[in-house]
Formats: sequence, C-alpha cells, structure tokens
Amino acid sequence: MNQTPDITPTTTALLVAPAAVLMFGVFVLPFLFLVVLSFWSQVPGSLSLDTSFTLTNYVRIFSDSYYLGGLWTTLWLSGFVTLICLLLALPLARWIVLHAGRAKGLLIGISILPLICGALLPTLGLVNLLSPLGFINGALKSMGLIQTSLPLLGNITGVSIGLVQAFLPLMVLPLINTVERIPHDYEKAAMSLGASPFVVWRRVLLPLMLPGIVAGSLLVFCAALTAFVTPQILGQGKVVTFASLAYQQAAMVLDWPFASALGIVMLMFLALAGLVGALISRRLARAS
Amino acid sequence: MTSRFGKGLMLAGVVAILLFLLAPILVLIFSAFDGGNIFRFPPRSYSLRWFEEAFNHNEYKSSLWISTVLGVISTAIAVGLSSLAAFGLVRGKPSYRLALEVLLLAPLTLPLVVWAIALLSIYAQLGMNGTLPGLILAHVTITMPFAARIMIATFDEIDPKLEAAAKSLGASPWNVVRRVTLPLAMPGLLSSTAIAFLVSFNDVVVTTLIAGAGWITFPVRTFSRLRTEGIDPTTIAIAAMIVGFTILVIVLGQRLFQLSRRF
Repeated sequence: MNQTPDITPTTTALLVAPAAVLMFGVFVLPFLFLVVLSFWSQVPGSLSLDTSFTLTNYVRIFSDSYYLGGLWTTLWLSGFVTLICLLLALPLARWIVLHAGRAKGLLIGISILPLICGALLPTLGLVNLLSPLGFINGALKSMGLIQTSLPLLGNITGVSIGLVQAFLPLMVLPLINTVERIPHDYEKAAMSLGASPFVVWRRVLLPLMLPGIVAGSLLVFCAALTAFVTPQILGQGKVVTFASLAYQQAAMVLDWPFASALGIVMLMFLALAGLVGALISRRLARAS
Repeated sequence: MTSRFGKGLMLAGVVAILLFLLAPILVLIFSAFDGGNIFRFPPRSYSLRWFEEAFNHNEYKSSLWISTVLGVISTAIAVGLSSLAAFGLVRGKPSYRLALEVLLLAPLTLPLVVWAIALLSIYAQLGMNGTLPGLILAHVTITMPFAARIMIATFDEIDPKLEAAAKSLGASPWNVVRRVTLPLAMPGLLSSTAIAFLVSFNDVVVTTLIAGAGWITFPVRTFSRLRTEGIDPTTIAIAAMIVGFTILVIVLGQRLFQLSRRF
C-alpha cells in the first residue's frame, strides 16, 4: 500500500470534521455529562435539578437490597448467557468456515439478521414461541408429552433464551474471523500424531481461538448487562435487571440523576469486564 | 467416534443452532397467518385478516410513517457524513485515522441505553425533548457506525490509481468524484444506506427513551403496548412484513454486492 496521502491535510480535515464533531458532541459529551449528573439530585416533586454535589444516588444503589439484588441477577444472568453463547457459537463458527462453502455469506447474513432487526421484532416472535399457548407448549401438548404448559415466560428461563438468541451473532462474528486464520493443517497434524478430537479442541483449536473467544465474550457480556427490552418483555416485569431499573428511573420516575448513577455503575462493570479481557489477551500474547 | 458419525452429529448440531437462531423470526412470520385473536399452536384457522387490519389501522399507519420519515432523513445524513469522513480517512491517511475510526464506531461498543439516559437529560435542559431534530440527531448517531464501517471498507478497496489516472487525463476533481469514485463506491453506498435505514427504522432502545409523545415510531408504539396490553395480532402482521423486508434486503445485498463481507 502506498503511504502518501492523495489529498491535502486541510481537505482531509474538512471532510472528516462534520462526522467527528457530530459524534463528539452528540455521543461523547453526554457520557461526560452523565458523570456530573450522577452526583446531582432531583428536587423532590419537581423536574428541576439540585446541582450541589452529593453521593446519595450511589449510596442508595449499594445499600438498597432491591438495587443490589437487581445488580446481582444481572451479573450472573449476563455471565450465564455469555457461556451458553460461547458453547453454541464455537461449533457454529467452525462449521461455517470449514464446511459452508458458497452458503457462507448467506449464513453470516442470517446470523447478523437479529442485529439489524433490532431488539423488538425477534422478541415478538419469541413471545409466541414461549407463551403458554405458544409454539413450544402447543407442540409438546399435541404430542402428548405434557398436560399443563411449561412456564417459559415471565421468568429467568425466558429471559435467558431471549438474550442468547439476541446476542449469539455477537459471539459468532468474531469467532468466524479467528477461525478463518487457523490453518486447517494444524488440526490434521494433531490428529495424525494420535490426538483425540477432544484433545485437538483443548490443546490446539481453543488456544488459537482464544482472541476471538475473549472478544466475543466481552461483546455478549456487555450487551446482556445493558439489555432491557428483551428482559422487560420476556420477563413480563417479574425479572428485575439493572438496565430495566435504569430505564424505569429515566422514562417513568423521571429521576435522571439516579438513572445516571445506575448507568455509571453499569459502565464500571463493563470497564471491569474489559480490563479482565485485556489482561487475558496480554497474557496470551506473552505466552505465544 | 467414527468420523462419518461425528460429522453427522456436527451437522445436526449446527442445523439445530441455526434453527434456534432463526426460530423467533420463523414463528413471527408463521403466527401472522393465525386467524385467532391470540396466537395458539397449532392454530385453529389461518387467515390474512391481520394483514388487512394492518393496512386499515390509522394509529399504526401514522407510527409507520413516522418511522419511515425519521429513517430516511437520518440515513441520508449518516450516510452522507460518514462517506465524506471515510473518504477523507482513506485517501488523506491522517495520523489520527485510528482514533477517528474508534470515535465513529463508538456507539457499537458503548451501551446505548446509558447514552440515551444522558441524552434525555441534556435534551430536557435544552428544551429539545420529544422534538424531531433531537430525534434525528440521535438516529444519525446510532446509524453512523454501521454506515461508517461499510464506507471505510468500500473506499479501502477502491484503487486510488484509478482516480489518479482520470485526473492525469484532464478530468476536474468534481468529474473524478462523479465519474470514477462514486460509481465504484455505489455498492458500498447502497449497502450502508440499506443497513442504516433498517437500524434506524427498527430501533427501540434509544427512541423509546427520547421520542416523547409527538413522534412515536412503530417499534416504540409496539413496545409500550406490549408492556401494558400484551401482543396485538395486527402488530405481529406488521412485524412479519418488516422482517420479511429485512430478509429481502439482506439476501439481495448478499447476491448483488456481498453484504456480509463488508460487515
């Protein structure tokens, strides 16, 4: 690649500036405002803000068992969803790369479909899939396997299914990218030296796929931690997740400083997850 | 484990996972043809009545119209700005290219619900809550990373020598852009337009927080109804049509210009 620019630095700056200014002003600045806002408070009974510094919002989150419970549920739910996504995405990504052939592009298109459809439309389908009269219960009943409907909505089961379904593509895409870079000979070499499929996976494939695993897990964990549309609909208000608490405070209670503090706490957990991911990647880079 | 058996098992597993991935969308489309008021499986009757209802329902029609207007305006701005920026980054090769790519793609990695809470409170201070310009700014921001990623990949693939050749043959800069760069970038422009529009049209996370009462888009209307009254079969019919349209765009995009490679 030729490294000399084809246009002048001034032209470059002029071309880039509108998008950059917009993204900085509308996307980055609000996050800075969020930090400030989380240390303010709402004047009770009104929409005006008390701008004196206070820690009440944070104290409330970490002392009230309702919010702590929501935080705990969200953390383990996100971890669980990440694990299931990983278990499903590993064989899928490898199969798409090795065996899909010409269908590969279309299969990738299918796996990005939930990303483009947004959170809502697939969730509508999931309600009809999981409801007491829905697809799964109806099919099981007409086969005579169950008499009463299995409770798949309004509990953590339904929410987990919905989150795995929604975020599986986030795991599949980075995994496909790493699997594509592993030469197929490595596996054959290990096999010819007498390694069983299990050993091939554990000692050869998984270590090579680890960068993709870390990247995908981070994406899924972050997405699950901050999801609120899927948990609200499939949990039918009975599963309290952290993001739905923040959404309620912002959209219904209209306590924006408190909603901001909830948002900041989410960001801190995301940063923590990112840090763990970065540490794993760095150890890996040193080991290889 | 014999290798043929292992392969069969693998294939069955992969098909099951793909089915799981697609199940909600397949059920959504299937249940739109259920004749009853509440979806049940197996359906007692099949009919097209909910599609008919969808086209006669004024409340849904107005919210679909709002979604479309918002999507078209936001997409035009996002694709325009991101194309300029992508061209600048690829052809100008500035030292800050990486930093700017991170900035343009940031909404893909940072949680939009947290951002929307902040935007909502800023809009409230500025008196912009529930206004169309406020909504458009928000939608341009969430669609920008999708458009920018595709446009950067597109310009990266266009050989600058083609532009240089046109220039050396005496074409004016404007003619180089119009006759060489734009035609070559057309597949990328169409891909990013389609994806950006769908992302804006389908967004519920950000819009439900900042839409206010005046500009209720279709996903926001569906979401708020869903929480209070449960599923309306008319919604299912409309949702099935939107998903069908989305699938059509992806399949066409894949066929015509390898959409998945640009992601």
